[in-house]
Amino acid sequence: MTRSPLRILFSTGSWAVLAFLVLPILIVIPVSLTDTSFIGLPREHLSLQHFETFLESPKWLHATWTSIWIGAVVAVAATTLGTAFSIGCWFLSDRAAMIARWVMIVPILVPPVVQSLGFYKFWVTLGLIDSHTGVILAHTLLGLPYVTISVFAALANLDRRLPQAARNLGASLGMTIRTVIVPAIRPGMITGGVFAFIVSFDEIVGVLFLTVRRVETLPKMIWEGIQESVDPVIAAVATILVFITLLITLFGMLRSK
Amino acid sequence: MSDPILSVRKAVKTYGEFRALDAVDLDIREGEFLTLLGPSGSGKTTLLSAIAGFTALSAGEVHARGSNITRLPPEKRDFAMVFQGYALFPTMTVAENVGYPLRVRKYGRSALQARVRDCLDLVQMGQFADRMPHQLSGGQQQRIALARALSFEPDVLLLDEPLSALDKKLRADLQWELKALHERLGVTFIYVTHDQDEALSMSDRIVILKDGAIQQEGAPGALYDWPRTRFVANFLGKSNFISADVVGQGAEGLTVEAAGQRFTLAPRPGLAPQGPVSLALRPERIRLGAPGQEAFTGRVRQISYLGERCQVLVDHDVLGEVLVSQPTWHAGLRPEPQMDVSFGWGAGACVPLLET
Repeated sequence: MTRSPLRILFSTGSWAVLAFLVLPILIVIPVSLTDTSFIGLPREHLSLQHFETFLESPKWLHATWTSIWIGAVVAVAATTLGTAFSIGCWFLSDRAAMIARWVMIVPILVPPVVQSLGFYKFWVTLGLIDSHTGVILAHTLLGLPYVTISVFAALANLDRRLPQAARNLGASLGMTIRTVIVPAIRPGMITGGVFAFIVSFDEIVGVLFLTVRRVETLPKMIWEGIQESVDPVIAAVATILVFITLLITLFGMLRSK
Repeated sequence: MSDPILSVRKAVKTYGEFRALDAVDLDIREGEFLTLLGPSGSGKTTLLSAIAGFTALSAGEVHARGSNITRLPPEKRDFAMVFQGYALFPTMTVAENVGYPLRVRKYGRSALQARVRDCLDLVQMGQFADRMPHQLSGGQQQRIALARALSFEPDVLLLDEPLSALDKKLRADLQWELKALHERLGVTFIYVTHDQDEALSMSDRIVILKDGAIQQEGAPGALYDWPRTRFVANFLGKSNFISADVVGQGAEGLTVEAAGQRFTLAPRPGLAPQGPVSLALRPERIRLGAPGQEAFTGRVRQISYLGERCQVLVDHDVLGEVLVSQPTWHAGLRPEPQMDVSFGWGAGACVPLLET
């Protein structure tokens, strides 16, 4: 293999971009291990004291638990709704279905602030402000596009004769979906569910708009912590957040294999 | 004749301006091997799909054993189908695939397993029960699709170009097997194909479709020997076409004249006893000889060697390009390009067409 200057330029460039993407995430790891009482790199030795603080704080643990269970409910709700929507569109596969698919992707394109403002106005009317239901609903809407995209990708590879075969062999439409289609697109559903979980788990803009005091999620606690103090426990929390996200993604990748 | 097991009446299917089926009437007898043969776009797959219940007819009806099933959903029709590309369920094992129709019909565990084993043995795939479909070759998948379709003992088996994805040798083997299976089970087969060899080798009856309408139907031999139209004569096998004029009525049949030669036609009911007539002539019915030996004189343009047979294109001043097919082992003339030859045919070799 020859190493042309152009090739070197491109490979250096891509490594630089990768570093730019990953380093800000990785910097929290040494910071979380600092032996100082303010945010900074470790001075004399590595210390787990801030992780201890996190594990001993009922407030932090509660927020973590809230984020996890909200994320789990959102993942299930978004996967169910998104899969039903995608299978419906796949069966129709006409113009209307294509337009519906595009409308479904819109939440990804709209700026989060604009969307959160919309949620806020609407949720006030519905009386959902500062409730877990309100956050779950908003996060489900934000997670849906990811589910539909990955489920559609799975459906695109599915032979259209499969449901015909099932029905020809005597299965009703419901049974066809349950026994033939869902098992075949399960990898896409899992990937979509994992994405929906992560979207909810990391989401802050909507939570800031929609909650006051009753609902405390992990990202919101970090945000509030940063404003009040420079306690390195935040770095410890951020590290934990990164690892949970990595674990969930890894789980999703292994399951969808 | 007993009542047909299936009958299609005045079936019409339109897609916008396009008429995929144009008033098709068809009766299917119990236990027969019927082939729907036609080029792509002829409506054969649409017709099969309407029988299976996947395509809603724009007009017309489908009846099974005397009852109207036009509006019945596919799962209530109890016709098994073998799909092009097989459509095996990718997440189920071979045994689960074959047992699927039984599972849907709520068979007991032991009855289901016994039936699955029988069906797999029927297609000689018993040892593959625990494999996944993607671990099987095309021919093996084909057999599993067949076993799955037969597992719930349907009256009618619909086959949509089931052999089209296989290589030629395997296709020939499976043709024998399908035919044998049909004879053994007594199930009615409705077979869709665009391959004339498949149609000729397996069918009891062939229905030739073109542009959504039936062109002609009949037993393979009858269709091959007595095509009604130019399309049938050239779709089922190959034909040369000769324009001739009826000049008289002999004891054996009509006498016609073409390119200055007179010859006798086999009698055919429905043929006008005078005027111009279009004749179909099979390439294998033409004899080749040295110049002067046969009635017509021409020059060899091209030769195509096919192993068991040899096809020779001969140019004639009036008849144009004439295709001759003769066995390679034929001891007589060995044609070469640019060679002057003569050719001719016996009485009854030319078949008058009823429509052009």
